[in-house]
Parts: sequence; C-alpha cells; structure tokens
Amino acid sequence: MKLVFFGASFFGRRSVLLGQALFFVALSSGCAYNPPAAWERGDLAKVKMKFDADRLDAMAAQHTYFSKEAASGGTGVGGGGCGCN
Amino acid sequence: MSSKIDFAGSALARCAPSDATAVAGPTPSQTSARFGSITLAALALPGLVAPIGAQVAPLEEGVIAAKFGVYEDRQPGLTRVRAISPSLYIASPIASSWSFEGSLTHDNVSGASPRWHSSISSASRMADHRTAATAKLTKSFERVAVALGGAYSDEQDYRSRAGSLELRIASADNNRTWSIAFAHTDDNIFPTNRAARGATRRTNELGLSVTQNWTKHDVVQLAISRAEGRGYYNDPYKIVDIRPRERDQTTATLRWNHFIASSGDALRTSYRFYSDSFGIRAHTLDAAYAKALNDRWIVTPTLRYHTQSAANFYYDPVYDPVVGEPFPVVLGRFASPDHRLSAFGAVTVGVRADWKLDSRWTLDAKLERYEQRSSWRLGGGGSPGLAPLTALIAQIGFTRTF
Repeated sequence: MKLVFFGASFFGRRSVLLGQALFFVALSSGCAYNPPAAWERGDLAKVKMKFDADRLDAMAAQHTYFSKEAASGGTGVGGGGCGCN
Repeated sequence: MSSKIDFAGSALARCAPSDATAVAGPTPSQTSARFGSITLAALALPGLVAPIGAQVAPLEEGVIAAKFGVYEDRQPGLTRVRAISPSLYIASPIASSWSFEGSLTHDNVSGASPRWHSSISSASRMADHRTAATAKLTKSFERVAVALGGAYSDEQDYRSRAGSLELRIASADNNRTWSIAFAHTDDNIFPTNRAARGATRRTNELGLSVTQNWTKHDVVQLAISRAEGRGYYNDPYKIVDIRPRERDQTTATLRWNHFIASSGDALRTSYRFYSDSFGIRAHTLDAAYAKALNDRWIVTPTLRYHTQSAANFYYDPVYDPVVGEPFPVVLGRFASPDHRLSAFGAVTVGVRADWKLDSRWTLDAKLERYEQRSSWRLGGGGSPGLAPLTALIAQIGFTRTF
C-alpha cells in the first residue's frame, strides 16, 4: 500500500519519513481502520485519551516552549502573542 | 520582549484549544434514541466529558481548575530566570446549546537578563509581570459548533490582543470532526529602552484539522496551520538584532492516542513539523504514557524531543579571547544572535501524577526537566558556542467538576 503523508517538496523528505513512520507504527500495532460504534467509545471518552485534556497544563507547556524555541503552534490558532519570544 | 523576559513557565499565549473533536460522542438525545442507556451512562461518569474546545456537542457539566507553576532555568554558572505562575480555568455550559470557556494567568518573572548570547558577564537583574486572559463562547448545533474566542496579554513592554472564529463539523456517525479556524492577532511593542516606539505586529492564522476515531481504542488527529505575520520582529534588547518584518509559519501536527485495553493505560503521541520564512525547520516528537495504578491514581511519564535548524540570518557570535563577550559579526541585511533562532536539540523528561479524591475533585502535580544543547540537534551540526540551557518546571493543581 502506498502511503502518502505530505508532499515531500513542501514539508521535506525527513518529515515525510517521520510521518510515515508514525503511521506504520500505528498500522503494525494492529490499528487497522475500524471506526467504533457509539457504544464502543467508552474507552475513547476517558480523560487520559483526550487531546489536551488538562487545558491549563497544555497552555503552560505551549507557552514554555514558545519562549525557548523558534517553532510554535500546531494545536490551535488565536491564542495571542506575548513578549517572551 | 524576547531577551528581557527570555523565560518560560507560565500559561497562556498562543494557546488556542485543539480544534477538532477527539472523541465527541453523539449528543445526549441522539445517543439516547439510538444507542440506549449504556453509552449515556458512560458519558455521564465524572471525568468522561470531552474537554471544551474539542467537541461539537455542548458541555454536559462544568469544570473549574487552578494551577500553581514554578519555572527556573539556568546555564552553567548562572541561574537565569524564575517565573511563578498561578492560573485559573473555567468551562461551563451556560444554556442548553451554549458553552463558555475562560482562563486567567499571572506571571511573576525575575532573574538575570538580558543575555544576548551565552555570555554571562552582561547579565543584569530584571523583574516583570504578565497578565493574560482568554475567553471563548461556543454555540452548538446538531452536528456543528461555532466558537468565538478572544485572548489578551499585557506586560510592561508588550500587549497582545487576538480574536478567533472556529467552525467544527462532525460526521454523521460522530467518528470524525473537521475544523476550520481563523484568528487575527494585534501586538504592540514598547521596549523599556525605547529602542522601538509604536512598534506593531499583525498576524493572521488559518488552521484546518480533522480528528478521527480510528478504532475503539485509537484516535488520531491531523492539524495544519498557516500564520502570516507582518511588523516588528526584532529583539530591541539585543545589541545587534535585525530581522525581516514578515514571518510566515506553517505547521503540520499528527497526534495519535492509543488505549491499552488489557491494562487500562493510554499512550499519547504526537509529531509536529514546523517551517517558517526565517528558514527554520523543526521537528517535535512527544510521548506520554498514562499508567492507571488503581481507580484513584494515574501516573504519566512524559518525553519530548525537539530539533530545529537555524534561521537564515542567525550568526554565530565570536567570543574574543580577551574581551570574552560574543563579538557581533554582521554579514547580511538581517542578523540575530538570538539562541532561539540557532540550531539545537532539546529534550524534556517529566512525570505527572493525578489523584482522584472523589467523583468531583482531582489533584495533580507535575515535575519536568528541560535541557537544550546545540549538539543534540538531529543529525548534528548545531550552532557552536552556545552554553547548554536547563530548566526545571514544577506544577500543582486541582480540577473540580460541577
């Protein structure tokens, strides 16, 4: 199966490889695409399975890295800026 | 500004919520009608409500949380900056189809600054305060949610105001959510040394994401965002720092959460690619393993790796053997010795503990150590002459549902 992640010309070859590696890890661990029925979503609904379940913690971490590194973003838009970078 | 408060450890800033549904289930009425009481019971359990900003259906209960964070970073021979940051968060349904989310943070920052490279002899004492707030109002329809958000941050020499509009659309089976969001940010910069008067920066951002329940134990999210900023990007506290007046940033983030049914644990992973018009390319990998010790305790070790290339105009300062200070060598139209624009790698190792006191209250604590070294850049070739930077981050907090 040919797995297309992103265009290599735009994101670079290294990121293509890393992205595809993540997908392959997922697939090789038995994660074939099989969306759950509503009554099967109990585990997905657990707090530990949420993206950024702890909003304050996520915001603090993003702010920390924003002030120490050049890269930022990736989890949302419109949070505003600050003078730390 | 960047070198005046070259720190971290507080909340807010560039912190809009993740934009798509992770595990948003059907609305209560749909669920009730189609799937009976089992799912309803599961969704009604405390702590199982999807976080606000990541669902289409309206909130079913409110959440209030508070944190107290301490951050301290250092380089060899110098404790640089300490930040103490209390913060507050609330999310609540305010009507049958409306939800509100807001946060408030105050940073107390003190320490040695500025240091325009790794030299420590020019360090001086500084202190600053920052107050930041966010608010978001969400209206939910049957499979659609519209959110209007705002953010405000104010400190001695920097003010930022942002507004955002987000549209989330869930698929008919509620296993997939598309999101599109637009944001505009107005920043005003007024350095205390008067190096720039009336400086401004305007940024427009567009974010697209799709979140998919891949299996009953896996959820994945792909988010792509583009930000275009115009205005003042220099660091007025550095001796030689001249940057382009435009910066375009692109990110692509892939997140994957996997539930391990045999143990009840969860593995959360993410990869982010970043590229900007300064010439910086970065890769960031994150992993967290949420280990359930029993019904009340969850311990989560975390690991993060970040690597980035240098900006096109970053220059490696020369340390004079007599003077000792990094000697500014300006080679082009733009130039900056800001170490955050250099090539380096960084590793964060941490652990978090969550203690569920009862059906409403949860306490949490986190300890992390961050280290940044030029030699840790992926593939080598980090910028020379930079002292390693380490930081300790400690945080305690509570969450209560209502």
